[in-house]
Amino acid sequence: MSEPIIICRDVHKWFGNFHAVRGIDMQVEKGEVVVIFGPSGSGKSTFIRTINRLEEHQRGQIIVDGIELTHDVRNIAAIRSEIGMVFQQFNLFPHLSVLSNVTMAPIWVRKWPKQKAEEVAMEILTRVGIPEQAEKYPGQLSGGQQQRVAIARALAMQPKIMLFDEPTSALDPEMIKEVLDVMTELARSGMTMLVVTHEMGFARAVANRMYFFDEGLVVESGTPDDIFKNPQEDRTKLFLSQILSH
Amino acid sequence: MSAEIKAHPGMEKPPTTSVGVLGWLHQNLFSSLLNSVLTLISAGILYLLGRGLVKWALTEARWGVITSNIKVLAWGRYPNEEAWRLGISLLIILAMGLLTWALRRGSLTQNARRALLTVWVLSPVAIVILIHGITLPTIATITNNLGYYIYRPELMPLLGEAWRASAALLVLAFVAGLTCGSVSKRTERLLSLAPLLALFLFTLPLGLLANGSLFGFDLPRLLPQTFALLVGFFSGMTVGRALTSIAAIRWLRIGSWVAVLPGLLILLTTFDVGVESVAPVEVLQIIEPNIWSGMMLTILLAVVSIVASFPIGVLLALGRRSSLPVVKGFSVLFIEVVRGVPLITILFMAQVMLPLFLPLELTVDRVIRAMVGMTLFTAAYLAEIVRGGLQAVRNEQVEAARALGLSEMLVTGLIVLPQALRAVIPPIMGQFVSIFKDTTLVTIVGLLDLLAVGQSVIKQREFLGAVREVYLFAGVFYFVISYAMSVASRRLERQLGVTEES
Ligand SMILES: Nc1ncnc2c1ncn2[C@@H]1O[C@H](COP(=O)(O)OP(=O)(O)OP(=O)(O)O)[C@@H](O)[C@H]1O
Ligand SMILES: [Mg+2]
Repeated sequence: MSEPIIICRDVHKWFGNFHAVRGIDMQVEKGEVVVIFGPSGSGKSTFIRTINRLEEHQRGQIIVDGIELTHDVRNIAAIRSEIGMVFQQFNLFPHLSVLSNVTMAPIWVRKWPKQKAEEVAMEILTRVGIPEQAEKYPGQLSGGQQQRVAIARALAMQPKIMLFDEPTSALDPEMIKEVLDVMTELARSGMTMLVVTHEMGFARAVANRMYFFDEGLVVESGTPDDIFKNPQEDRTKLFLSQILSH
Repeated sequence: MSAEIKAHPGMEKPPTTSVGVLGWLHQNLFSSLLNSVLTLISAGILYLLGRGLVKWALTEARWGVITSNIKVLAWGRYPNEEAWRLGISLLIILAMGLLTWALRRGSLTQNARRALLTVWVLSPVAIVILIHGITLPTIATITNNLGYYIYRPELMPLLGEAWRASAALLVLAFVAGLTCGSVSKRTERLLSLAPLLALFLFTLPLGLLANGSLFGFDLPRLLPQTFALLVGFFSGMTVGRALTSIAAIRWLRIGSWVAVLPGLLILLTTFDVGVESVAPVEVLQIIEPNIWSGMMLTILLAVVSIVASFPIGVLLALGRRSSLPVVKGFSVLFIEVVRGVPLITILFMAQVMLPLFLPLELTVDRVIRAMVGMTLFTAAYLAEIVRGGLQAVRNEQVEAARALGLSEMLVTGLIVLPQALRAVIPPIMGQFVSIFKDTTLVTIVGLLDLLAVGQSVIKQREFLGAVREVYLFAGVFYFVISYAMSVASRRLERQLGVTEES
């Protein structure tokens, strides 16, 4: 087996005195889909955001695609352009059309000519199922469509890794499926994905491994089969029974 | 903006709602009893107030004071036979305004956009040359004057022209610095240094002879030139470094080299050594800013302070948020000091204090001093307005942009600023309208704007007492322009409006 594409060793993060992430170890292989779940405030977002350095970790080591995350600005830029991120609130740029949202980073960071960037963008928008919305503005789209644009925007940089932070929890139920379908297709295509989500159907169908977080620590991890059929820890059992019951 | 929504084949058109004049009247003025009564009362008041004014304007007013003085009111002491230059300048300003007005995002090809931008950048230069006039050297002037730098440098200080060498070095060093900061090939860097070295050696004799001065102090020889060289080079390099990631940097570099070389030649050779056969030629008669007056001065003061204060204000607003203490400290200090002082005080200070900051030989015109004062004043207020806009941009936007791998420069330039500026279009335009009206204050420092010229017109013997006519005329002038500006602001807001909903 080759070197894991993401290596986290003993990652810690404090907000002031508050110890939000308290020593996470995780290794992710190329093409793996890893689902992270756990109660609110357990540090899932904080941890996933340390991987592209939206949060700075204060202890431990994070190595992405062979590059260690340090204060070196060039390393951060290099790593960020290899990692796509999708946020709970979409965070599209409201002043730009859908097409410009998707082409911006390839044009300015990858320095692609505009025409090439637009061709690639249209391909990706077709892949996420909304090529006809290219000229609209984010404010004119439904939540599900916006989230698919956000996925397209991240994919346009041709990243090696995709991070998802609760991509469906701001969506109405009927829109969740359209986003999960896109994510499932992406996973099948071999993308390395780190997904914070409580969509257990998606986890069961797509994830290779799952991590249960609580209070800034990994309580339990394993394959979906392990986690769903045979959870070891009481906290995991309790949490699963809570979210699967409704 | 035309974000067309494609219609499905079977989609129905919305019902059209059209009302005629009567319908409009009914809906808006006479929709209910109360509304009808209010309409009638307002009409009555308007009639009572307006009757006197209209009667006076149509029968008693001596409009001759305006018609026979229209040229004086329009351009004051600017020579009549040169006034066509003002006309052309006004046409350029209007054309640029119209072009930009017509501009819709997406409706322009990249090349057209580039062309428009170039014209935008070039037109102020053209207008300055048109209004101010220009002197160009002949071949004889060039060879003769360049000779002064080498053979008779001791005459240069007498000519009061030694500052030209420092200015030339400053500009060339900036461009060389820009190049060195933004290219990676060593040969290109060395190549860009060659002209700088040549100019330095060329002006060396002058530097060795001339004493410079700054803030009124005499400086040791060569210091001004060395200082200009270093400041120019390092600021150029900083800008070049910061902009390396921007695609346009290549064009900026090429453009600045193309512009700087003839510019330097003109700068170094357009002084008059007092020998007739080698004097530079006035291609367009020079009309000193001191003479600028009337409406033309009012408009120029407003346009210059608006155009120049905008970028300064944006930079100050960004500076205020900077993490570098020096930059932040300077911005805060500047903004707070300027905002703590009335405009009129700043105008006085600009007249009295600006010369202290400049080399002795360089005298700056009173009109220019007023422009500098008004620009800095407006910039400080704009900075605060823009800062409000910057605060309104949600941090998630910044994070999303960073997550895509955009550098901090790009995050600011592509995401934060466009959103921030959009949010504060109304107060920015309000500030512009207010500085336009505040141009009237320059009368107090002795400049002859429209109002001042108007006051002198009233004193003409044949129109003695035609005070109302002149003030009404001036009032209408200020109102029409201010109103046009606020209409433009609303239109701009609406054009960019689609983005607000999200
Ligand atoms: N910028 C911040 N400053 C201070 N505390 C923070 C900050 N961000 C997060 N926290 C705290 O850190 C803890 C972990 O937050 P985090 O957002 O990672 O949780 P989460 O597992 O993603 O929860 P949720 O399911 O609600 O999104 C929380 O207690 C939160 O209040
Ligand atoms: Mg979270």
